[in-house]
Amino acid sequence: MSTNSHTVEVENLVKIYPGDIKAVGGINFSVGNGEFFGLLGPNGAGKSTTLKILGTLLKKTSGRVAVAGFDIDKHSMDIRRSIGFAMQEVGLDDLSTGRDFLITQGLLYDLPRSKSKARAEELLEIVGLTEAAKRKVGTYSGGMRRRLDLIGALMHSPPLLFLDEPTTGLDPQSRLAIWNHLEQLNREGITIILTTQIMEEADRLCKRIAIIDQGIIVAQGTSKELKTDFGGDVVTLAIGTELDAGLTEKAKGLLAGREYVSEVVANGAELTVTVRNGNAVVADLVSVLGENQIPITNLAVSSPTLDDVFLKHTGHTIRSDSTGGDEMNQAMKAMMGVNQRR
Amino acid sequence: MTAFLRQTWYIYVRNFKTWIAQPAIFIPSIVFSAFFFLLFAAPLGGVTALEGFPTDDYEAYMAATIIVMTVVFSGADAAMAMLADVLSGYFDKMLLAPINRMSILLGSMLIAGTRALLQVVIIIIMALILGVDFQGGVAGIFLIILLSTLLGVAWAAVGLMIAIKSKSAQVTQTSWLLFMPVAFITTAYMPKEFLTGWFKWIVTANPVDYVLNSIRTIVITGWDWGPIMLGIWVLLAMVGVLTLAATWVYRRETA
Repeated sequence: MSTNSHTVEVENLVKIYPGDIKAVGGINFSVGNGEFFGLLGPNGAGKSTTLKILGTLLKKTSGRVAVAGFDIDKHSMDIRRSIGFAMQEVGLDDLSTGRDFLITQGLLYDLPRSKSKARAEELLEIVGLTEAAKRKVGTYSGGMRRRLDLIGALMHSPPLLFLDEPTTGLDPQSRLAIWNHLEQLNREGITIILTTQIMEEADRLCKRIAIIDQGIIVAQGTSKELKTDFGGDVVTLAIGTELDAGLTEKAKGLLAGREYVSEVVANGAELTVTVRNGNAVVADLVSVLGENQIPITNLAVSSPTLDDVFLKHTGHTIRSDSTGGDEMNQAMKAMMGVNQRR
Repeated sequence: MTAFLRQTWYIYVRNFKTWIAQPAIFIPSIVFSAFFFLLFAAPLGGVTALEGFPTDDYEAYMAATIIVMTVVFSGADAAMAMLADVLSGYFDKMLLAPINRMSILLGSMLIAGTRALLQVVIIIIMALILGVDFQGGVAGIFLIILLSTLLGVAWAAVGLMIAIKSKSAQVTQTSWLLFMPVAFITTAYMPKEFLTGWFKWIVTANPVDYVLNSIRTIVITGWDWGPIMLGIWVLLAMVGVLTLAATWVYRRETA
């Protein structure tokens, strides 16, 4: 397998959990050296599973995977040496101090103790945790934990960094701090693969994005390519009230018939209409609905966002899966965690 | 091999620090031992008057019982410690490191042995304060500590299997139920000659009882090599079998 240009190559990767649960349904992607690559998708899309397989934490069902030039079936130890992995469930040791946690990480990656200590201080300084380093990790805030976890993955200066939802659950300020660190790391030449369900995160950080849903990659490219492929502007319309399901259907039918409309997706009482040249056609769009006594309660014209791209490819918004609230998601993750390493 | 030992050492040191970071965990084992001495040994001391009872010091008889029970139950502590790492995600952190994954298991078993060792030292000090006369002398005390440490390692293997297989706090917390018959259906309170029926049969089949008998012989009789060696062989077999079983389960779950 050629690995000069690509540091990660994934071919027909499939993961089926016991009970015939298909988490990853045959995906392909490759990541070049120095790239910042994103796997974007909702909860349960197969992002974490994919990353865990790449990180040697999970066995794949079938397919071919090479990481850092090593085949995953034969050289998992070499792969582990080459990657840093910051996980979604921050794997910290609450009873140890921040500094001790890092030094142990270094030792486990074969750094001599003195080097490990020096590296820990260096990284603590970069993320502003020097002051907190002597405190037990259990006392850290969410943002501090993520930063510590991130530098824990960097102790052995890996050329390749895997990040599983690095900012999920963080406040905007902490999120921004992590983003800045990640951009800096990528500028320094570290290849980064990140999973996220935050559109803004993928849009800002990732040079290339693969949109993944229900274990399948539905679209792949740069953020700009994805939006261009989308084909036009987006008009979002709110129609009548939630109760008028028939009204939404009727509006959908009317709009789909206009020659400038390339796609109409209904989501509750909201219609997302993809049109060529949005600003020029809004007037016609409004009059068509007006003539048919369909009240418009809200209207917005915008250039496509990754949200729109996602909606187009999957038929649902990325957030509709997480409306059950964070606690529900946590509970689901905990439940799934029970069987994950089989 | 040196890399494996070094990695095991790092894991062990980390486990040790995590352990002593919670001083409160020493309280249960101290209270447990004191409870047994005060509530069983003292009021039941009269049974030594029975014809054929091997000693007239029931506290000496009970010292071995308390040591073995404490150590067997500490297998549940090992399980909970590993489960905490699994649930926090730190276990995955260790699996991600370029180390021999067996060092994680071994590091956990060795810390369980260390825990058992310290608990046994506490119990022996308590027994000495209560006036128990160890017939085996200082060398006997050292052998008791060694045997109980090994027993701690063996039962930690059982606890670790439960933790790693179930990955569930509820299941792991109830693992002490499994340890109960092993610890209680023994000659804990009465010598075998005084037992009857099914209970006696199970005691005969319970490997832990041979270790208990070995330790008790050192306390109340001294260097009677027959029962001592029998206990040692059974213990070594137990360590071997349970370690292999834990290794097998562990490899399956982390492969």
